[in-house]
Amino acid sequence: MKMIRHSTTLYYYDGPQVFEARDAIGGHYIAVMVEPDGGKEQFLVAGVEPERLRQFRMGTLDLRSLLVERGEPEWFLALPDGDLDAPLSLQPQASPLASFAHLPEPGFLLHDRPTMAEALREARARNNLVMEVAVEPPEAAAEHRIRMVTLAGLLTHLQTMVKHAYGVALRELSLDTRRSIDRSDAHLLDVVIPAAPGSFRVVLEASKLPDMLGQSEMARALQRIDALFDNVGDPQKTLAMVKTHRGHLAGAYLRMLCFLVQSRSGLRYSWAEPNFQEPRARAVTEAEAGPLVDLLSGVSNLGAENVTLVGALERADVVSGAWRLATQEGDYSGKTKEGGPSLAGLKLGNTYRFTCLEEIEETQGGREQRTLYLTDHEPV
Amino acid sequence: MSYREPLPGGCPPAEAEEITAEREVFRLVSANPAGLDDFRSQRAERPEAVFRGVSVHAERMASEKMRKLPRFKNSLVCRVRLLNGAGRIQQTFQPPHHTWWPLAAFDILSHCEVLA
Repeated sequence: MKMIRHSTTLYYYDGPQVFEARDAIGGHYIAVMVEPDGGKEQFLVAGVEPERLRQFRMGTLDLRSLLVERGEPEWFLALPDGDLDAPLSLQPQASPLASFAHLPEPGFLLHDRPTMAEALREARARNNLVMEVAVEPPEAAAEHRIRMVTLAGLLTHLQTMVKHAYGVALRELSLDTRRSIDRSDAHLLDVVIPAAPGSFRVVLEASKLPDMLGQSEMARALQRIDALFDNVGDPQKTLAMVKTHRGHLAGAYLRMLCFLVQSRSGLRYSWAEPNFQEPRARAVTEAEAGPLVDLLSGVSNLGAENVTLVGALERADVVSGAWRLATQEGDYSGKTKEGGPSLAGLKLGNTYRFTCLEEIEETQGGREQRTLYLTDHEPV
Repeated sequence: MSYREPLPGGCPPAEAEEITAEREVFRLVSANPAGLDDFRSQRAERPEAVFRGVSVHAERMASEKMRKLPRFKNSLVCRVRLLNGAGRIQQTFQPPHHTWWPLAAFDILSHCEVLA
């Protein structure tokens, strides 16, 4: 018997009404809830071509046409055993699908308003959050070309900024909400179109699919980033906003701006979730990035975050200032800060509360190197 | 403050908004007049938070569109006036879909009107 698995819900109302599924060899199926059978939910299921499924997701093909106008006559009914996460067995039906009494009416489109915006079009087609990023370095002026180091830098800085923006967004949630979220890989973006035509554009997709509410965790991060680019033409307003995100996000934002200045490029981006009416877009020109870098670089400790650690002191070198603390979350190493407290008098094995400033520096390869600087300590 | 259906911890989600000002939502019902069973969460037995709520639309057209789906072919659109004390609500899935967690004390039937 043929089995499928629910992969994503496309239309929800008191439960999934229309969902996508895959079989064991990757075949695509669409399932539509029909009248219950013996009080149990029942779905009409049919295999569909990936391109037509994509058209349905984009809102350019209606559900009835997707089901009826197929090259394949085979169709099924399925009775889930309560949980859609479990494999679903399909009961083949002998009669033609077109004569089935419970087909959807013509005209059921997933999105009523078509869009020309690429980010939104791709978000709908992929049923996931999509971000489109464009840069204009000098080498891209005459032809569709970009230096490897520029492309690598763009992607690295963007991913870093998203990671820290997601961290900021999570910290603003209640503990209960944070616990209810599956955060694994939620900050990661995948490149899905590495060099889109036009100016040098890259299309990225959230690595993780939307949650059961149809919402992407990535959106939390991008909303924070949007706020940083809201007023790039007004450095003082931007400074005020960046100060509210003082810490690693502010540091990552400043490094992105520095990168744009060094690459002599502006940056444009837009992003959308499948259910948006319009994508959200922001931009900064090369001319705007320069004054922002000058202003933000003058703010001391803009990219540093306060970190408090409690644990047993395992290493304390009074001369070099190096220390290591074993906390419940793991071992942390750091240094003393110039003008800050020294390690003299601390006893190995005793438990201390270390208050530190965590600073991130970028290595030549573009990686982040974190250093903890001790600003205060007390025995616990 | 108790909800119409028993809810697990963390439900409604913290992001759900408390209804304090009047607003209209639309829901598909099986008959005119609507009955309380029309406002029962279809997934009351499921553990996931969102399924313990009731699906409603913020726009009538979205409920009308639902009638093109086989499951709702014979359903009627009902307008519900939500007032202070109606519970909590959150936009979920495709706009204008919302999930509504009604409070037990809110008299749903006296605030609903079947339209078509």
